[in-house]
Amino acid sequence: MKSYSTKIERRIRLAGSLLIAGLLVELVTLRWSHPTAFLFFLLLGGALMAVGIGVYLLSLISSENKPPAE
Amino acid sequence: MTDNSTILVAVILFSIVLIAYLVIRPSITATRGGKMLAFVALLVFPVLAGGMGVNQHMEHSKTTNFCLSCHVMEDYGKSLRVDDRSFVPATHFQYGLVPRDKACYTCHTDYTMYGDVNSKLRGLQHLYAYYIGKPSQPIKLYRPYNNRECLHCHLGARSFEESEAHTKDPQALSRMKLNQLNCSTSGCHNIIHNVGQLKEATFWKEPAK
Repeated sequence: MKSYSTKIERRIRLAGSLLIAGLLVELVTLRWSHPTAFLFFLLLGGALMAVGIGVYLLSLISSENKPPAE
Repeated sequence: MTDNSTILVAVILFSIVLIAYLVIRPSITATRGGKMLAFVALLVFPVLAGGMGVNQHMEHSKTTNFCLSCHVMEDYGKSLRVDDRSFVPATHFQYGLVPRDKACYTCHTDYTMYGDVNSKLRGLQHLYAYYIGKPSQPIKLYRPYNNRECLHCHLGARSFEESEAHTKDPQALSRMKLNQLNCSTSGCHNIIHNVGQLKEATFWKEPAK
């Protein structure tokens, strides 16, 4: 079977993967009682989630989704 | 685990499940329902989980255990249990004048409009000093301790307002309230953590609950 994925699907996969990674970092840091945990949460988890959301928003405005020009 | 953190963990796990479904089947976003699911799973829930996470970390960073989890703070934690009433933090901790689970934060936050934010920014400064810079030896406050933090609780209390030591000089109380006469550096309550004296100190043992 030929697998076919559009650009938006690839971006949603990427955004989802980044968000899952960010959420897992958040989950781990919540169980860890140390100031370093906050740093990891903010710099690693926060960055992964921000990039993930950014990729998703980018997928919404990507040229592929625009209606064809008349 | 508190109720809030249980809810947060549930939100995170639910978000992960929703996002995983989209990662496995991204083609569902071609439908109207799929688009709505993607919006909720990839934007609404992560923002919610992130915001709740920040709040949870902020609350957790107010705990005494959190502050004492850095080994540079160990002696300061020990000083809370010195069996000597002249040690100001020890008296506050042992006599329940501050909540024991938030003892450090209660005295070291700023009681101002943005006090919480300022104290957390100072916390980040501690991390910078610890990992990148060099913590001063012995550890010092970044700025002189403000009477405002003491007065947050003591102001108006009879024990404070009518104390013989505070009323002997008629100007003393008003100068204290204006932070012109510092409680901790004018020779009155100057035994604070004094970690250098811990070797000779005896310690209070908290009775088992």
